Amino acid sequence: MREKLIWLTNGFHSPGSTFDFKGMINSQKEQQTLPSASKKAWRINNSLWSLPIWLVPGYVGFLYVFNAEVSIWILLLTVIGAIFLTALFVFLLPEIRWKRWKYRVDEHEIDLEHGIFIIRRTLIPVKRVQHVDTRQGPILRSYNLGDVVISTAATTHKIPALSEPTADQVRSEISTFARKAKDDV
Amino acid sequence: MFEPRRQHPVAGLTQLLHILKENWITLLILFFVGTGSESAWGIYAVLGFTVLSAVGGVISWWRFTYQVEDGELQIKQGIFVRKQLYLSRERIQVIDISAGLVQRVFDLVSVEVKTAGSTSKEAKIDAITRTEAERLKRLLRSEELPKEDEAVKSETSKTYKIGIKELFLAAFTSGNFGVTLSIVGGAFSQIDQVIDEDRMLRFFEWLIPASVGVGLVFTTLLFVVIISWLFSIFGTLIKYYDFTLTVKDDALLIKRGLFEQKQLTIPFDRIQAIQIKEELLREPFGYASIVLESAGYADQQQSLNSTTLYPFLKKVEVQQFIQQVIPEYNACVEPVNPPFVALRRYLLRMVWVSLIVIVPAWIFVPYGVYSLFLLIPALIIGYAQYRDAEIGISGDTMMVQWRLLSRKAAIVRKHRIQSAETKVNPFQRRLGLMNYTLTVASGSGGRTFAIRELEKETGNQFLEWISPASTKQKESFDTDQNSIID
Repeated sequence: MREKLIWLTNGFHSPGSTFDFKGMINSQKEQQTLPSASKKAWRINNSLWSLPIWLVPGYVGFLYVFNAEVSIWILLLTVIGAIFLTALFVFLLPEIRWKRWKYRVDEHEIDLEHGIFIIRRTLIPVKRVQHVDTRQGPILRSYNLGDVVISTAATTHKIPALSEPTADQVRSEISTFARKAKDDV
Repeated sequence: MFEPRRQHPVAGLTQLLHILKENWITLLILFFVGTGSESAWGIYAVLGFTVLSAVGGVISWWRFTYQVEDGELQIKQGIFVRKQLYLSRERIQVIDISAGLVQRVFDLVSVEVKTAGSTSKEAKIDAITRTEAERLKRLLRSEELPKEDEAVKSETSKTYKIGIKELFLAAFTSGNFGVTLSIVGGAFSQIDQVIDEDRMLRFFEWLIPASVGVGLVFTTLLFVVIISWLFSIFGTLIKYYDFTLTVKDDALLIKRGLFEQKQLTIPFDRIQAIQIKEELLREPFGYASIVLESAGYADQQQSLNSTTLYPFLKKVEVQQFIQQVIPEYNACVEPVNPPFVALRRYLLRMVWVSLIVIVPAWIFVPYGVYSLFLLIPALIIGYAQYRDAEIGISGDTMMVQWRLLSRKAAIVRKHRIQSAETKVNPFQRRLGLMNYTLTVASGSGGRTFAIRELEKETGNQFLEWISPASTKQKESFDTDQNSIID
């Protein structure tokens, strides 16, 4: 009874292909994962964010060179700390985040599940959706990825870093479902 | 024949007061911060701001014109950016004529024109004479509407009016300490710059003779609390004086206020949720207040999100009241509570919270170690939070009850829920617990209702309940459908 649609599995990567939604209303019943390219994009993003961490060993190193009062051990300690944090941000967190992210869209609801330490599962009745956008920053664009942003009257939700065609699919699917659900009532 | 007209010049004054009212917290901070012992730039800053606002008020009065042409109200306003508002007679739904304090002094009225629809435009003429207002109303009223209105009003409206005894009880038990406490506290922190400490000490000794040994800190605290309480009492008296709730066919009409009578109309289809609040001082006496969350009906003066539906009511009468006023929110639920394992998380959380106060007090304040006694009320509150956490559904209605300090319950209809969420942190995962959050629209944003430490199965059930799909397979609700998260 549960069927997975071919176009949402990983095989679907042909950009620019259009889709006909007729007869597709009973679509995805299973949770989808994000494309593995999203990990790469997050790694780039997180390495940019972890640059400020290196200000600390940089400052200590500056003191070490120009002011002998700082011992080399402190410098080493800060460098190791910075390496550890950077590794955490750049390698571990994107991996966990990717593993935890799951989403499901059907004619009734949008079901999101994500979180690194705190796992959140969010349900949004499709009828409540006011608008859906796709958004793309420079990093996501370089990997041909895009976020889908879903807004209700009170909240906004994001399915991050989907491949461009999937993002477009999901967006138009949600808006079709939303329109249909509203017509039903 | 209908020339563009200006308002009465008093509109400049009301504009000024409006700006001051909007910014009173900033001004207060400026005043207290900037009024040190040697310089007084705060006073100049406040004065400067007031003068600027006054000039702004006059200019905005000058730039505001209105006229009625071809049954269309045209308003032009704005100091730098000209805004033009055109409202046709057919779309106008409500014309509210009211008078605030300033208006009453000058024998003027303000006119509010409201239209319906999703893009609810709204126009307000701040100060015109009553005859002018009547003229406008005549010009803008479509012919059929008013009679219908009258007829409805006389036939099917129920009215609830707060009695004078209730009002005073409400005022004395109003727990609105938070805001007033911080203001009075802020004022007190500045007092030592005006009066020197010796004199203040003598003042307190005179005020509370027995307190000589107790210490200045305690008496000051008591004093601050009493003053905040008085503020809170008068605030409530003024706010809810003559509170009248009228139930009409399609809307609730609320009138209240001593100096400035406010009037609110809330169409039933805008109601998103209701909340029953048992404020700390009211709970022991078995009283509560009811608050409405509504959305999509913007009101300039008071952004209409949370509105008091009734300020003071016996808890045992709440259900009957809801049944009479908004029957679709009357639900009899069999509530579920968090499991026993959750108790220790509720208690621990309160311990952490109280440690935020205790540790600095211990270190920095003499005799601060006695703040350890705070743990006792903290644990009691933690237990009460555990005991009062409840969630339940009945048909399409959900009830969530929780406590932070005071006990609150929210009643939500399924088709008003914007989203629901469960959250599990690593500690909760070990114990099989989760937090549950609901969001409904309120004003232009949202309001969330949350209940902590539910059993995982319960949380998932209530999460999936909000899905429209669950209505269709209601009978399978009790069966186990919570395997998705694993």
